[in-house]
Amino acid sequence: MTFNPLEERGIPLDRQLRDWSELNVEPIDPDRCDPYTRCRIITMNGIEVEAILFSHHLARNTVDPEVKRQLARTRYIEAQQQKVVNWLLPGVASVLETTIAYEQVAVDLTAWVARMEPDPYLKQAYEFGVLEDFDHLYRYANLYEMIEHRKAESIVEGLTEVMPGRPTRFHHRDPYDNVRDPYAKDGTDPLSKLHTLTIMSAEQQTMNFYMNVGPQYMEPIARRLYQEIGLIEEEHVTHYESLVDPGETWWEQLVNHEYNECYLYYSFMEQESDPKVRAVWELHLNMELEHLHIACDLMRRHDGRDPASVLAPRLPNVLTFEPNKGYLRELLDTQMDLTTLGAGYVRDAHERFESMQERIHGGEAPPSDQVIAQHRSMFGREYRVQTDGEHPDPARREK
Amino acid sequence: MTELHTPHAGDDRAADTDVVALLMRQHGDIRNLFDEVEASTGEERRDAFRRLVRLLAVHETAEEEIVHPFARSALAGGGQVVDDRLTEERAAKETLADLDDLDTDDPKFLPRLTRLRTDVQEHARAEERYEFPHLRRGADPGRLAALAKAVEAAEAMAPTRPHPGIESPAANLALGPVAALVDRTKDAVRKAMGKDG
Repeated sequence: MTFNPLEERGIPLDRQLRDWSELNVEPIDPDRCDPYTRCRIITMNGIEVEAILFSHHLARNTVDPEVKRQLARTRYIEAQQQKVVNWLLPGVASVLETTIAYEQVAVDLTAWVARMEPDPYLKQAYEFGVLEDFDHLYRYANLYEMIEHRKAESIVEGLTEVMPGRPTRFHHRDPYDNVRDPYAKDGTDPLSKLHTLTIMSAEQQTMNFYMNVGPQYMEPIARRLYQEIGLIEEEHVTHYESLVDPGETWWEQLVNHEYNECYLYYSFMEQESDPKVRAVWELHLNMELEHLHIACDLMRRHDGRDPASVLAPRLPNVLTFEPNKGYLRELLDTQMDLTTLGAGYVRDAHERFESMQERIHGGEAPPSDQVIAQHRSMFGREYRVQTDGEHPDPARREK
Repeated sequence: MTELHTPHAGDDRAADTDVVALLMRQHGDIRNLFDEVEASTGEERRDAFRRLVRLLAVHETAEEEIVHPFARSALAGGGQVVDDRLTEERAAKETLADLDDLDTDDPKFLPRLTRLRTDVQEHARAEERYEFPHLRRGADPGRLAALAKAVEAAEAMAPTRPHPGIESPAANLALGPVAALVDRTKDAVRKAMGKDG
């Protein structure tokens, strides 16, 4: 690929503001859309939410009022981008349907990133995390059939399998063991920085989503399941954010954010099957190019460094939503029984892990187990989508 | 690909102590039947469509008898909410009547079915968001359970799912016209609500 965002010019910032009619986008049809179109929308919403929150934190740490104003101008446009992207989701979708789509994102985005990640320690972090998202998808899919009598298959459409991953009950680790070691900003492949930022943002949005929509449910099992998985999203954000080198300056981080947005909008523009959605990705790419230039100017001014020195010379291969079934089955076969110890991974339950497990479960089955038990008693079976055969782990096959 | 069958509300083993949970599951059953009609052709499609029409009739009648009157009386501004739902139901019924005049293999059938599906789905979500919470909040548990039993009874009297051996359209016709189905549903629900049966 020859596309280099540093050499392209986008739409001037003062021409980026959209009026109400331009913001009023037509949502996708949940029964007819490409599931990966919905995944791209959910991903870019997470990316824009992170852009907005990061910019707010930066502004709170900025003394110069003129710089604050510059950040505010770009951020307002980013807030409009978030509105356009997230409003592509349809009002007729239920919270649980959107939740299942969030988990499909978590599974196929994290699995793809793990496959492409050049650094073995980072790759392990994604491989570890994806087996947990995979299990969450299975738990929510069972809840969905109980409450709405619909199959998750109608959402994921056979692109992603639905079956047990690492059992959710084992995701509750002592917070001490959720902190990873960071990559080294000067030594790491620039692609690794983009991967980390992308997965961290997606998980953060998932955390925000569950913590806010969970209590909207009236069914006790639904309320409890969102509470449990919501707490695991907290662990995941801790896990992924600790991979970022804290030695990156604020301005360097800002440049990385803007560069990543260019990378993702470009990637999704290349793959998008829905022409109306593709037009949004293309427009937003042209906006982001300008945001990147503004960020680069700020970095040059405040850090006295050339942004090109921390970025890739050109965009990496496009980030792709595609099935990762074979890869996931391999992980299910080999990494189910891992947990974390300090910044590493072990197969044995250690003292800190066991103590946390004992305290959080309080001697009863967690909601993630109860949802499967309740589903079984309602339908006499579980809900799974196993397109490629039996579960690779014999212990996880349906009895 | 998995071929898991989701039973209709009333046929699963849920306790059915809450009419709202039951109606929500019926919303899913209706969507599943739309899928079935879209995915089939010929005789199979005709049969799936008959079942869809019957389930819609039972379900909408039950809601007209239970949910809407409750929302109208219990909610500030409930009148407007209910009027909106009734307008949607009228529109859906018109599209349904249109469809009923067509052969299910007519090229105009699928586009019209898609329109009906969109209308029905929007209507169902509006009920779930604007009416069901009030019903759950306002009605006591005994009432919610009794109403669930009534809807179940109504559906049982009007088979809307394939029964071994009687899957032909002729057999479906023998079950009686949709209007009779609506009447029977009303009777069952009114009895359960303690009105004149």
